[in-house]
Amino acid sequence: MLSPFEVKLLKSLEVGKRYSVNEASKIVGISKDAVFRASQSLQSKGYAEVLEEVRKEYRLTEEGREYLEKGLPEERLFRILKEKREVDLKDLEEEFGKSLLGIALGWLKRKGAVEVEKGKIRLVKDVDFKEREALRLVAEGRWEEVPNEILKVLLKRKLVEEEEEKEIYVRILKKPEVELKEYVTDLTPELIISGKWREKEFLKYDVKIPSKEIFVGKTHPYERIIRECRKIFLEMGFTEIKGHYVQPSFWNFDALFQPQDHPAREMQDTFYLDKHVEIPEDLAEKVRRTHENGWITGSTGWGGKWDVKKAKQLVLRTHTTAITIHYLAKHPKPPVKAFCIDRVYRREAIDPTHLPEFDQLEGVVLDENVGFKDLLGLLREFFLKMGFEDVRFRPGYFPYTEPSVEPEVYVEGLGWVELGGAGIFRKEVTEPLGIKGRVLAWGLGIGRLAMLRLGMKDLRKLYQPDLGWLRNCPVIKTLL
Amino acid sequence: MPVVTLHWDELERLVGVDRNTILEKLPMLGCDIERVEEDHIDVEFFPNRPDLYSVEGVARALRGFLDIERGYKHYEVKKGDWKIFVDDSVLEVRPRIAGCVVRGLEMSDEVIRSLMEVQEDLHWTIGRNRRKMAIGVHDLSKIEFPLTYKAVDSTFSFVPLDFDRVMTVEEILREHPKGRQFAFILEGKDRYPMIVDAKGDAISFPPIINSEKTRVTEETRDLFIDVTGFDENVDKALNILATMLADRGGRVESVEVVYPDRTEVTPNLSPKKMRVSKSEIYGLLGFKPSDDEIKISLERMRFGVEVKEDYIEVLVPPYRADIMHEWDIIEDIAIGYGYDRIKPEYPKTVGIGSTHPWNDLRDVVKEIMVGLGFLEVITFTLTSEKVQYDYMRRRRPEPWKHYVPLMHPLTEEHTIVRTDILPKLLEVLSQNKHHPMPQRIFEVGDVVVEMKNRLRLAACITHSKANFAEIRSVVQAVMRELDLEWEAEESEDPAFMEGRRADIIVNGRKIGVFGEIHPEVLEKFELVNPVAGFELDLTDVFDCGELI
Repeated sequence: MLSPFEVKLLKSLEVGKRYSVNEASKIVGISKDAVFRASQSLQSKGYAEVLEEVRKEYRLTEEGREYLEKGLPEERLFRILKEKREVDLKDLEEEFGKSLLGIALGWLKRKGAVEVEKGKIRLVKDVDFKEREALRLVAEGRWEEVPNEILKVLLKRKLVEEEEEKEIYVRILKKPEVELKEYVTDLTPELIISGKWREKEFLKYDVKIPSKEIFVGKTHPYERIIRECRKIFLEMGFTEIKGHYVQPSFWNFDALFQPQDHPAREMQDTFYLDKHVEIPEDLAEKVRRTHENGWITGSTGWGGKWDVKKAKQLVLRTHTTAITIHYLAKHPKPPVKAFCIDRVYRREAIDPTHLPEFDQLEGVVLDENVGFKDLLGLLREFFLKMGFEDVRFRPGYFPYTEPSVEPEVYVEGLGWVELGGAGIFRKEVTEPLGIKGRVLAWGLGIGRLAMLRLGMKDLRKLYQPDLGWLRNCPVIKTLL
Repeated sequence: MPVVTLHWDELERLVGVDRNTILEKLPMLGCDIERVEEDHIDVEFFPNRPDLYSVEGVARALRGFLDIERGYKHYEVKKGDWKIFVDDSVLEVRPRIAGCVVRGLEMSDEVIRSLMEVQEDLHWTIGRNRRKMAIGVHDLSKIEFPLTYKAVDSTFSFVPLDFDRVMTVEEILREHPKGRQFAFILEGKDRYPMIVDAKGDAISFPPIINSEKTRVTEETRDLFIDVTGFDENVDKALNILATMLADRGGRVESVEVVYPDRTEVTPNLSPKKMRVSKSEIYGLLGFKPSDDEIKISLERMRFGVEVKEDYIEVLVPPYRADIMHEWDIIEDIAIGYGYDRIKPEYPKTVGIGSTHPWNDLRDVVKEIMVGLGFLEVITFTLTSEKVQYDYMRRRRPEPWKHYVPLMHPLTEEHTIVRTDILPKLLEVLSQNKHHPMPQRIFEVGDVVVEMKNRLRLAACITHSKANFAEIRSVVQAVMRELDLEWEAEESEDPAFMEGRRADIIVNGRKIGVFGEIHPEVLEKFELVNPVAGFELDLTDVFDCGELI
């Protein structure tokens, strides 16, 4: 089977004659690249041979061109000596310059033409200079006429430089016996409608040659992991909730029994906003009492004065717990199962493991007869569904939970990895808000999870899109 | 959270077990082991357990946890003949003081250093960076009792620690490193707290600096400790230090603090008694440990326990600063019992899973965009006025009326929360110029306008021939799939090229814009290929659900 170009080549070129690719391209009327590819294909089929010839080319260097014009330095010196027989070296130095004089003298000595004695040069023998003639021949492109040894000298003296040029030739060896048919490349509507496709022979393609890359439209791998997490919550019977990024400190801190002078509330960790908003007065009063002296919660409270103004100041929420606690305050009667996966903010400089904003996953269960054992059961089930078979629990600390726990999952190659935190909301949190029952709560940063799933080491990649990575990160990789 | 360095030789000696046992059990007591070295470990303890910020405190807790020495540990306090008179003048400045004397200590360089480390960790946690509570440690032999705690004015002078000349309070706050560091606590005050001895010499200027005169050296055998502040945290910190030094072999003597209206004797190292009902224990834990298990668990955590019919009576050690509520004791039952021994059980609470409309809508939009061959990207919502408005040739809106500015931005790139996604996408294109064309990207997510989240979709196409017609096709398809009737009207959005920009109008309201990005905008983002794009606000045309 011959391609249309191969047929063209066979038809237009004479058997046995050598054509350069350039010549063949002109004769056949197709591009040089097409000639080259068709010739190679013909060679593999035995109809042609492709020859590669390395051609040498010689050119004068800048120095060579100068000597061609002015004469070689030794030739010039020889002419002076021929006139004067004997010359003072010092006088020559003035005329030639030290380095050029060196070159000239060197070559004349080598030819045995001069003697140097007591600072004077004397001519002792007549010599001839073939080099200049050789330079002329090279300049005219007739370097083939220059004797080899002279060419070598010129190359060594860097008066001439050598260049290699590759030229590719094609020679048709024979033409096929059968009539040269032109194959059809494209199956067209015309061919189909007219039925003429029946008379045609279609070009067969080389199936091994890759085509141009195209990239699929797809969701972000991180979003796909978030979708998997949502699926797990939904399967476990949780209601999805969502809240605004901008929240009063009241819901972000105070309602969660975070003391107003708590280090986590300081400016260096939180993005504060220069605005204060109203907060529910009755709840604020109960929260105030709880902070100051424990109110009816059975707690001692933090002591000191609780400042409502601080609670009214807006922040970019530092955790999704600001949303879950507010939701529970609105739905205080058990049972409640709710979850939230969304953006949170920390006032942190960007590095591979710290970002000023990231996504957090959080779940809460409010019920009357649930306790710590149930929280551990929930965590184990959740992580199991996430694909972590081994889960263990260590004591943890969060200001708004008691008991608190840090779940760890076992990851091959990494060992035990801490994955989030959990606990039961303190009475100081639930009672002022009128929440009836106990609240099991847990959360984790999804970035950490994504790093484990996708084998990433740099969190920044998730929020600073690299199209190369996104295009090449297989969709199936995020399947749990 | 404080990271405490514990030296193996001391820790092993004080606990009485080898390091492998310690390494295995310590995390189950509640901490993160940061680093394990040949001669020491660095351990991060939680901020609710300042009593674990010293090797003595850790050893005490571990001996209980490892069943070497369980139960409440009693600390002896000998009545001392030491007095502090509290002057009226200081009550409005820094009203509370407590003190103790500890005798017979072996001071070495290392002991002094570890004492200073504990002091700093306590300052940071209980003391809230010295605001609520500050500690001074002195060589007892250099002090002439009784002491007076009073307020002085800024001309009062003495030789502060680490200096060799007399300085006034004002100079110390301005020139002494500690003065500069902590001057903020006393800002706006014209009277300053000062502890002076019987000779009238200053021994401490809390919460800033001690006097050079009472410096603790290797020759020091007896210490005087003062703690000043505002509330019971003063006593908590003193108790932690006194019990730690007692564990180091010191003999604690009490100090009488004479206020204008009362007299207190500090430190009070007697336990606090608390009752915890068994039903609360069973309920919170979700299982019923036996009376013995409750008792042993709490004794492991160094509480004193007496089990009664319906409740338990607990002696809370004086160094425990975190016990605010009976639940705090129940957590210690769980830790003493061992988190690894509790059998997890999935709760029976029923619930029907349901998604939030906001995310349902996002999923629909994603399906449309992916079907159109667009690649989803995620970007930060933090950005700057410069990129959001200036680069887009759009007029900067007034802060708060439209966008939310941060009070204390960390970088110039992150000064506000985004109100538009399109500029973020142009940034993405700008960072990905080296990847093959065409590039088609989208993001569907939140922006914050007037302090509320809104749901937006934005998309961009770039290649050498990207144009209006191409993006209009996309907008047409999106609007068709969203089943929205719409009209295009000539837009005036300066981010796009004149005559090649249109507003997306639904029910007479503008909900979006599309067109060819203005070349001046492209220049700002250093883009060399044309870009066509659109942005669509979905919040008002669909039910996005309730946001909290």
